[in-house]
Amino acid sequence: MVNLTIDGKQVAVEKDATIYDAAKACGIKIPILCHDKKLHPFGGCRMCLVEVEQMKGRLIPACTTPVTEGMIVQTTTDEIVKARKLVLELLLLKHPIDCPVCDAAGDCDLQNLTYEYKVNMNRFVDEKFNHEIDYENPLIERDMNRCIHCGKCARICDEIVSYGAYTFINRGIEAKMGTEFDGPLNCEFCGSCVSVCPVGALNSRPFKFKARWWALQKTKSVCSYCGTGCQLTLGSKDGKVLTTIYDENQGFHNGQLCTRGRFGYQFVNSEKRLTAPLVRKNGKLQEATWEEALAEVTSRLSAGKSDPASVAALATARLTNEELFLFEKLFRGTVGTDNIDHSAGYAHEALTKGALASFGVAASPAEIADIQKSSQLLVVKSDAYETHPVIGFEINLGVKRKGVALRIVSDKKGKLTRLPGAKTTVHAPGSEVALFNALCKSVIDQGLAAEGVAGLDALKAAVADASAEKAGVTAEEIAAIAKEFASAEKGLIILPIGLGYPGHNAALANAAANLAILTGQVGKEGAGLLIMGEKNNSQGAVDMGIYPKATGLNAQGIIDGCTSGNIKTLFVAGENPVVSYPNRKKVEKALENVEFMVVSDLFLTETAALADVVLPACSFAEKSGTFTSLGRRVQNVRKAIPAIGLAKSDFEILNALSQSLGGARYNNQGEVFTEIAATVPAYKGLTQAGLKDEGAVYPVAVAAKLVPAAAKSAAPAAGKLALVTGSALYHCGTMSRFGEGPMYVCPDAYAELNVADAAALKIVEGDQVTVTSGTGAVLVAAKVGKRVPQGVVFSPYHFGEGSVNTITDGSEVTYVTVAKK
Amino acid sequence: MIMPLIKGLQITISHMFKKPVTLQYPTERPDVKPGFRGLHALNVSHDKAKCVACYLCPTVCPAKCITVEAGEDQNHDKYAAKYEIDMLRCIFCGYCVEACPVDAIRMTEQFELANYSRADFTYTKDRLLEKK
Ligand code: SF4
Ligand code: SF4
Ligand code: SF4
Ligand code: SF4
Ligand code: SF4
Ligand code: FES
Repeated sequence: MVNLTIDGKQVAVEKDATIYDAAKACGIKIPILCHDKKLHPFGGCRMCLVEVEQMKGRLIPACTTPVTEGMIVQTTTDEIVKARKLVLELLLLKHPIDCPVCDAAGDCDLQNLTYEYKVNMNRFVDEKFNHEIDYENPLIERDMNRCIHCGKCARICDEIVSYGAYTFINRGIEAKMGTEFDGPLNCEFCGSCVSVCPVGALNSRPFKFKARWWALQKTKSVCSYCGTGCQLTLGSKDGKVLTTIYDENQGFHNGQLCTRGRFGYQFVNSEKRLTAPLVRKNGKLQEATWEEALAEVTSRLSAGKSDPASVAALATARLTNEELFLFEKLFRGTVGTDNIDHSAGYAHEALTKGALASFGVAASPAEIADIQKSSQLLVVKSDAYETHPVIGFEINLGVKRKGVALRIVSDKKGKLTRLPGAKTTVHAPGSEVALFNALCKSVIDQGLAAEGVAGLDALKAAVADASAEKAGVTAEEIAAIAKEFASAEKGLIILPIGLGYPGHNAALANAAANLAILTGQVGKEGAGLLIMGEKNNSQGAVDMGIYPKATGLNAQGIIDGCTSGNIKTLFVAGENPVVSYPNRKKVEKALENVEFMVVSDLFLTETAALADVVLPACSFAEKSGTFTSLGRRVQNVRKAIPAIGLAKSDFEILNALSQSLGGARYNNQGEVFTEIAATVPAYKGLTQAGLKDEGAVYPVAVAAKLVPAAAKSAAPAAGKLALVTGSALYHCGTMSRFGEGPMYVCPDAYAELNVADAAALKIVEGDQVTVTSGTGAVLVAAKVGKRVPQGVVFSPYHFGEGSVNTITDGSEVTYVTVAKK
Repeated sequence: MIMPLIKGLQITISHMFKKPVTLQYPTERPDVKPGFRGLHALNVSHDKAKCVACYLCPTVCPAKCITVEAGEDQNHDKYAAKYEIDMLRCIFCGYCVEACPVDAIRMTEQFELANYSRADFTYTKDRLLEKK
């Protein structure tokens, strides 16, 4: 610790602190423009000048000067104020000062400081800048006339996002923040640059001119897209969510969001939202009252009580814990069926079966904070960036700031594989389990297994015939990965799971867990296995028991049951199996066949269109509750706006049904959480109030065990391409299709091909191509690049049109032919 | 007892010979003094309302009777797609005029605001635009 005096106050801080940090620690505010706590010190604006007794004669920038023992600092003297005024005058010299039409006004650092320092006039005169304003971009409007050259946008895009879209171009007074060849911005659209820009040079276009910062009602909540569980602040006015507001003190990610969180909120107030219940009459869905719709559902469910096996229920992992708990209680308890599931069954199996077998708990032993504490990351699929972009930022930071070594085993390349020092092993598609088995074998063969691991012999026998060739990798590479992971001080495996990744199943979770256990990496900080659930509350859905526990059918079984007629009544809360489950034709047929189907959803989705009763549900912005993110963090979701139209939250819907079916009735969702805390062991002792803003990570008692995992041998079909599905960076599930932001940058389904394959098939970027498998054919646009290896095609699954699940059947890889239309 | 009565009558009678202070409205019109705060008008320049929809007047308005919704025109400039004052709530304080950074709104000498229905008191942008 270093002791120093600031404005007469004694303060002790860490030795790597700057004067700015020290002042902040003792509550003294030094004005800043170019400094950001997340970024490396820059020292570009000179707004933070202070006086240091020991360095008299000149003013010192507080944000870049490290503290030294016995320093005596003055933060406001006449001389300092004069200097800061000069800085502002110079900044305002070429600044347009068009605050009335600038969206930053009210939340602009330059405006606030100009006001605070009473800079009413300028001693200098000069012409204003006349840079062209970029109005073309649908998400980010760039007006470089307002730029104050703080460099924050370029630094965040480089240091944290690792994209590197901006750089200063030209020199001196001509200098300007520019893009590649000064062209249009074409990046990830995470909006990080917009959020840190201290002025109105970078603006969110979807929010342009919509409201003033001060007129927005700010509600702290949690992003409702992926399992990362980023905290965000919703800015709403007159019952509409208008934007997301950046708050650098929110969450582990310091307010950073990805494009879905930042720009994908428009689904909340979408024109397409359902506003009244619909009941099928004479074959057509027609508007009805809640009483009528609920009475119909109640009568069907109470009839089902006498034959519970004929009732099934699917829920989306987007609901709150409270809703899922009630869902489970209603169907497993009151109705008495075990046919309950979410996400196609396989998409969460890695937790409910895999982690449960390997660790004794249906959760990952590691948490998000472990990423930066690790020394060696082993990421399964470069897609971890696309599925969980803000986890991607954590990986970026770990690699670039903390020196974490990064190894990616993947069937394609991607953003993560381009990080400095990242080592990538591209394996044959669908061979993940074989790869991990080969790694385990190599660890054992090299004598690197941790001592005293129980069940070693059984595993040894099980992986005896594992080999590198089966994964399409060289033996040397396997040996190298095994060695680097086993000898790492803290090795962490990152495994994303979800609907697009049928291969990321229980077997893969076991295989990956085996490697972690075998190398003694479980039970340490910064090490182990982090399984990343796809949706905002995937972990919560598992915790609340939304999967068959005894003899019940899983999602795939339920679909088959609908086809065969064994399932007569199906309740679907927010799921969209038609688009998101494999084999669309089969799913459609099943859902058309089932006698009675109820869907509660925000939109008339492809699934809801087949239902007999459709109940309009509320989005996350219209309700309170909790979500549990992938690091087992339980966080508060807060209501920002009143319900749209006649929509009711799933809590209200399930509560009403529960009551009329003779089950429990709750006065509010908070009561359900109290019951969760009392009955779900992991949530013991938690209260919604106690979660506060930061949430709480519930602890897990891990009992690690080696569980042999059988690798399926995928027989490559001659002359065919291996189709792998997954997530696109701009989308998550099927809900992001209703957010304008994601749809501006990624509106349509596509199939990504290697250049060599494309050339052989005479396909060029943008061509419409027919992708045909044994299950069916689909027409999508072609994307050509070097990201996917030769012989592999990648296609995201989110879209209703050109839905790739038309041609999949739930296996890891689908063999297809691709032809130009 | 009688003295105060006479005194009172004296005043009354003296007024009978003075000029009346009342105005024979509506046949006689008042002389509206400068600075009078009557009905608002939106100033026009180059055939366009000067208002740039900065949202300062709805922010400052103590009666919260101004509704502004900004829009983006073909030149990507900000303009008031909607500008409305609920005259039933306006307290004629003039803060909006004071707040406006671009001199887009003023208060006229128009004080005859009586009307037949509530809806007539909603002054839309069209009604507020200054008539030349
Ligand atoms: S950037 Fe700030 S100072 Fe500049 S016009 Fe916008 S609000 Fe005003
Ligand atoms: S939106 Fe994200 S990726 Fe694009 S320039 Fe800004 S920080 Fe970089
Ligand atoms: S665009 Fe904004 S963040 Fe980037 S340098 Fe200019 S002022 Fe700073
Ligand atoms: S989609 Fe996921 S990574 Fe992106 S902001 Fe939301 S929670 Fe964070
Ligand atoms: S203050 Fe002036 S420019 Fe701003 S909204 Fe009101 S009238 Fe328009
Ligand atoms: S904040 Fe210190 S130089 Fe900019």
